[in-house]
Amino acid sequence: MLDWGIIVHYFPFLLQGTVMTLKISVIALFFGFIIGLLAALLKLSPNVILRQTGAFYVWIIRSTPLLVQLFLIYFGLPQLGIDLGPFMSGVLALAINTGAYNAETIRGGIISVPTGQMEAARSLGMGPTLTMRRIILPQAFRMAIPALGNNFVILIKDTSLVSTITLVELTLTTQRLIGSTYKPFEMYLMAAFLYAILTTTTSVLLGKLENRIAVERR
Amino acid sequence: MKKFVFAGTLILFMLLTALSVSAKELDAIKAEGELSFALTGQYPPFNFVDENNKVTGFDVEIGQEIAKRIGVKGVPVTTAWDGIIAGLLAEKYDLICGSMSITPQRLETLAFSSPYYRSGAQIFTSDSSKITSVADLKGKKIGVTLGTTYEKWVRENIVDANVRTYKGVPDMVLEAANGRISAFVTDKIVGAMAIKEKNAPLKMVGDLLYEEKMGIALNLGNPELKAAIDNALIAMKEDGTYHSISMKWLGIDVR
Repeated sequence: MLDWGIIVHYFPFLLQGTVMTLKISVIALFFGFIIGLLAALLKLSPNVILRQTGAFYVWIIRSTPLLVQLFLIYFGLPQLGIDLGPFMSGVLALAINTGAYNAETIRGGIISVPTGQMEAARSLGMGPTLTMRRIILPQAFRMAIPALGNNFVILIKDTSLVSTITLVELTLTTQRLIGSTYKPFEMYLMAAFLYAILTTTTSVLLGKLENRIAVERR
Repeated sequence: MKKFVFAGTLILFMLLTALSVSAKELDAIKAEGELSFALTGQYPPFNFVDENNKVTGFDVEIGQEIAKRIGVKGVPVTTAWDGIIAGLLAEKYDLICGSMSITPQRLETLAFSSPYYRSGAQIFTSDSSKITSVADLKGKKIGVTLGTTYEKWVRENIVDANVRTYKGVPDMVLEAANGRISAFVTDKIVGAMAIKEKNAPLKMVGDLLYEEKMGIALNLGNPELKAAIDNALIAMKEDGTYHSISMKWLGIDVR
């Protein structure tokens, strides 16, 4: 039923595509995390303008499809004289998108830290920034890691959308090869397998991280 | 919040109505040393990805030959057909050298080189199909690639057609073989090659629906680039390069 010759021959090419997928994922994950953290802090800011800016960003991103955001950046921005290549466009769209979800996750983590922690730190003479950095955020992340991990896995799978803007990552590599082999079953099966490896590795690594910072709770 | 959404929307609109970019001229391409051209990579034998994961085919070799004659490196870019014109307008690449037929509608937004090959639209069905003519297509599920002249033709000429749009010909070959669509319309040479080279269980039905001339598309306002392409095409037709590329991929001279 399965054409193993096809699988053996084309697997290395799909691996090349996987490397590109991994590259986009890692960069978007990094910037998406920073954007998420900043947006979460904005949303919790006492300043109304900052708070509304954060809320606007999270609202606009979560209420529109990633594919539309991607096309807006890739096809739309050049009309304004901003020409980002496929790689930059893809990374930017993914980072901005996952950033909004991370923002809500991190904000949830922060507000789950009991207010007593903040009060105790402040009464010890710590400033608001130091309190956030040393007392609140470390506890907030411990709470947020499982949900952040979920966002990361979704991000990896969402990279398949950049196949629509000419970036030859795993999905587009697969589609292009189906065009000349006429073997969609074998090809998509291999692609699914490779995505599963990427996402599973991410989950396992995050699980380990979770256990490590949970140590003091045991 | 309402005020904020309003202000945000206003800023977005102001950005959107800002200036557009100008087209990349021949000098800029020469300075960069690269001529990029778009195609789907889903259109064998004109453009496709071979068993070494390389983009190749008739269109690719013609594009590369043109780049060579301009004195730069030719770089093929694979993209979906339905976004191929948007990508050119956004200057994601310099040309579309991917079997695009020259139509009056496309000429409103794009410039074309002189035709670089001729072919035509043809109906294909599975080899066991009972469809024998255009008339039999009435009310049937018909596959076309999204954004092609074939799509337009089917919508305008076939009564009650249930039009299914696809990203490329290989998808339709599989769908017709599986019986999910009754027929599909595409370029005659492309379909004939799928039958011959890939043993696709398909057959040609009826005569050519209409003839088409394919051109290399570029952005408007690039007369020097257009002239350079046309001159390269004339030269390669004269010195036999065109003939050998055509024979290599198609087995016939399609000029």
